[in-house]
Amino acid sequence: MKRAKKPVFFIVALLILFFTYASIFGIKGKNGDNTVTYIKGVNDIRWGIDIHGGVEATFAPATSTKPTNAQMDAAESIIEQRLVLENITDYELYKDYNHSRIIVRFPWKTDEKDFDPEKSIEELAATAQVTFREGMEYTTETTGSDGEPIYKTPKGKTASTIILQGSDIVKAEPQITTNPTTGTSTYVVTLKLSSDGAKKFAEATKRLKDQIISIWMDDTMISWPKVNQVITNGECEIEGGSKGFTAAEASSLANKINAGALPFKLTVTNSNTISPTLGQSSLRAMLVAGIIAFSLVALFMLIVFRLPGFVAIISLLGQIALSFAAVSGFFPFVNSFTLTLPGIAGIILSIGMGVDANIITATRIKEELWMGKTLDSAITKGDDNSFSAIFDGNITVIIVAVILMLVFGPQNILSFMFGPSTTGSIYSFGYTLLIGIVGNFVFGVVTTRLMTRSLSAFSFARKKWLYGGPSESREALMNGGSEA
Amino acid sequence: MKTFHIRFYENRKIYFGISIGIMLVGLIFNIIFGTQLDVQFKGGAMIKYSYTGDVEPNKIEQAVESAIKRDVSVATNMNVKSADSDKTQNNVTLTFAGNEALSVDDQKTLLSTLQSLYPKANFKLNSSNSVDPTMGTSFFQKCIVAVIITFLLLDIYVAFRFRKIGGSAAGFFGIVALLHDVVMVYFTFIIAGIPLNDNFIAVVLTILGYSLNDTIVIYDRIRENRRLMGLKAGYAALVNTSINQTLTRSIYTAACTFVSITTVYVVGLVYNLPSVTSFALPMMVGIVTGCYSSICIAGPLYVMWENHKAKKLAAANASKGGEKAVEKPAGKAEELPAQKPQTSTSSKSAAPKAKTTGGQKKKSKSKKKKH
Repeated sequence: MKRAKKPVFFIVALLILFFTYASIFGIKGKNGDNTVTYIKGVNDIRWGIDIHGGVEATFAPATSTKPTNAQMDAAESIIEQRLVLENITDYELYKDYNHSRIIVRFPWKTDEKDFDPEKSIEELAATAQVTFREGMEYTTETTGSDGEPIYKTPKGKTASTIILQGSDIVKAEPQITTNPTTGTSTYVVTLKLSSDGAKKFAEATKRLKDQIISIWMDDTMISWPKVNQVITNGECEIEGGSKGFTAAEASSLANKINAGALPFKLTVTNSNTISPTLGQSSLRAMLVAGIIAFSLVALFMLIVFRLPGFVAIISLLGQIALSFAAVSGFFPFVNSFTLTLPGIAGIILSIGMGVDANIITATRIKEELWMGKTLDSAITKGDDNSFSAIFDGNITVIIVAVILMLVFGPQNILSFMFGPSTTGSIYSFGYTLLIGIVGNFVFGVVTTRLMTRSLSAFSFARKKWLYGGPSESREALMNGGSEA
Repeated sequence: MKTFHIRFYENRKIYFGISIGIMLVGLIFNIIFGTQLDVQFKGGAMIKYSYTGDVEPNKIEQAVESAIKRDVSVATNMNVKSADSDKTQNNVTLTFAGNEALSVDDQKTLLSTLQSLYPKANFKLNSSNSVDPTMGTSFFQKCIVAVIITFLLLDIYVAFRFRKIGGSAAGFFGIVALLHDVVMVYFTFIIAGIPLNDNFIAVVLTILGYSLNDTIVIYDRIRENRRLMGLKAGYAALVNTSINQTLTRSIYTAACTFVSITTVYVVGLVYNLPSVTSFALPMMVGIVTGCYSSICIAGPLYVMWENHKAKKLAAANASKGGEKAVEKPAGKAEELPAQKPQTSTSSKSAAPKAKTTGGQKKKSKSKKKKH
C-alpha cells in the first residue's frame, strides 16, 4: 500500500471541519453597519411553504371553450402583476397551455401578521380591470422589487375620467417596427379597439392631443403614453418612452392590456395553504431529529468499527455539510434550493445511508485482517474490493433520486403527458437524496481512504484491533508465528 | 472474525412462507378497509384549524353541513405539542366527503360558521388542502408512470452491470425483490390507515433505490466469488457464501438507516406532524423489508432459476448423448467442497486460488461455447 503521509489526516480533517463550520454558519463580514454575506449558511436556506407557510393554488379559466395561448399569457400576467404588487417576489408561476391552468406557489412574507390565504387567493383570481384614463395623477408611489417605481391609486381627474375599459379592447400585440429611413427596429404595442371603443378613443385623442392617457390595471398604472395624433380608426401604437421598449416590456404590457379583455373569469381548482407557525414547529422538530440521528449513527460507527468508524464520522460530517451547502446557495454556481420537510427527511435518511460506503470498506478491511493480512495490505485490499459494490449501489440510488426530481420538478420529463406542475415538496427530497449519495461517494470513498491511510502511518494506530481485526495475542495464536 | 454460515438457499421455503404470510395479512386488511387515496390523488378537501377551549365535533358537523351543503367528518386532536414553546394547542380537522374541491367562498363561509358557533374558541387556519378530482387523478397517473420508469431503468442498469453472472436474470429477481418491498410498503399504508399520497410515491421510489442497493452489494460479491470459486461451484454454494459474507454489512447499513428514519418518526410522533410520520413509518418498514428481500428472496430465487436452467441444459445434453452430463453444476454433492476455501478462516488457501482465476475463467469460457 502506498501509505499517505502523516499530515494528510490532519489536513483533510481540518478542511472538512472548516467546510462544516462554513456551511452551517456561513461566512459573514461587517461593512459599516451592514452584514455582508460572503458565503451563505443554514440561516440563508429558503424554506419551502410547508415550513415557512404559504399558498399553492391552481387557477383555471372558467370557460367552456379552450382559451388561446395569448389568453393564457394574459391571465398569467394578471396573476404575476398582482404578486409583484403584493411585494411577493419569491413566487413560482407555471402555466400549462395543454390543460389550460396556471399554478402559483408562494411563501408568506417573513413579517406577515395577517394570515388570510382565502383573501390572497381571491385577490389573485379576481377579474382584471384595465382602464385607460385621462392624465396621470396618482396617490402613492412605492418601489417594486425590481427597483422601478410603482404608481398606485388614481386621483383627481385621472380617477374620475375613464376613457376606455377592458371590454373596449379587442386585442393588444407586441410588434417590431422598422424605421424606413434610419433602418433601426423598435418594439411597440399595437392596439385594436372595438367600434364602440374606437369612437370613444377618437373623441378622447382629439381632446387630449399632446397630453397623457394613462393605462391602469386594477389600481396600478402600467403605462402612461402621450397622445401624438388623433386616432380615429381604432388602431394605434404605443411606443416606449425615450429609451423605447425592450421585447419583454412590450409583450408584458400587451399581456396586461389583454388581461382586461379576457372573456372569462379565473377560478381556483386547487389550493393548499399552510400557516407559518405550523411549519416553524415542524422545522424545529426535524432539527432535533437530525441531531439525534447523527449522534446515534456516530456512536454506532465508533463502537462497531473503532478507528475506521472515527474516520467515518468525520467523512459523514463532510457529507452533511455538503447537503447544507447544496441547499443554502453556498457555492456561487449552484442556486439556492427550496428546502421542504421531506427534503430535510432526505438529509437525515442520507445520514443513515451515507455511512454505507464506510461500512462496506471497513468490513472488507476487517475481513482481510482476520484472514491474516498485514494492516497495509488489508487496507489496500479492502479499498479495492469494496469499490465496485459502492459504485453500483450508489448509481441505483442516483437513478431514483434523479427520477424523483424529474417527475416532481417544475419542468419534468412527464410534462408532455401531464403538464408542468409546481415543485412539490418531493422535489426537494429527490435533491437532498441525490446530494447525500454524491456526498457519500465523495467523502465515504475519497476522504475516508485518505484519512485511513494517513492515520495508519502513526505507530499508535498500527494495532489491528483498532480496525476490527484480531487482538495481538489472538493473532499470534492463529498464525502460530508463520506470518512475517 | 465471525463468519455466518446460514443456508439461505436451503431455507428459502421458510422465507417465502413468511413473506407470503405477511402479504396475505395485508391483503385481508386491504379487503376489509379498502384503499384510501389522499385528496392529492382523488380530489377533495381537508381543512385544519387550531382552537382553544372545548368544542363538540357533532355540533360542528351539523353546522357546517347546513352552511355548505356537503357531508363533512370532523375530528379533533387535543393538546398537540408545539416545538416552539411549552404551549399545546387543539386542532380540528374537517374532511369533506366526495372528491370535489372546496371553493374559496366556501372556505370563508366555513370559518365564519365556526366562529359564530364558538365565538370564544379563536379558530385559526392551520392548513387547507383542496384538490380538483381531474388534477388529482392526473397527478396519480404521473406518479405511477414514474414508478414504472424507475423499475425499467434500474432493471436495465443491473442487467448491464451484472451481465457476467446472468444480468437479465439477476436484474429480474432483483426486481421481484423490489416488487416484494413495494407491496410491503403499500400494506403498511393500508394497515396504518394512511391515505396514499405523494409521500407514498417518494417512499416507494426510495425503497426501490435502497433495496436494489442492498441486492447489488450481494450481486457484486457473487460476481467476485464467481471469479474466485470458479464455474464448478454450485449456484447454491456461491450465493450462500456471498450473502453470508455481505450479511454483516447489510445488517449494519440497514441498522444505521433504520435508526435515522426511526428518529424522524419518533420526533414526528411527539410533535404530531402527520406529514412526517406518514412518510417515516412506511420508510422504516421499507428498510427492513428491503434488507430482508435482498437476502432472503432475490438470492434464493436467482439460485432456483440458475439451477432450473442448468437442469434443462443437462437434460438437453443427455438426450444428445450425455457426454457433458458430468458437468452439471448444481449437484448438491459438489456444494460443500467448493464452499470450503471461501469460508474457512485459514489465511493461506484463498490467495493461491485467486491467482489461478485467470486460467479458470478462460477454461470456463471455452466450455460454455461447447454447450
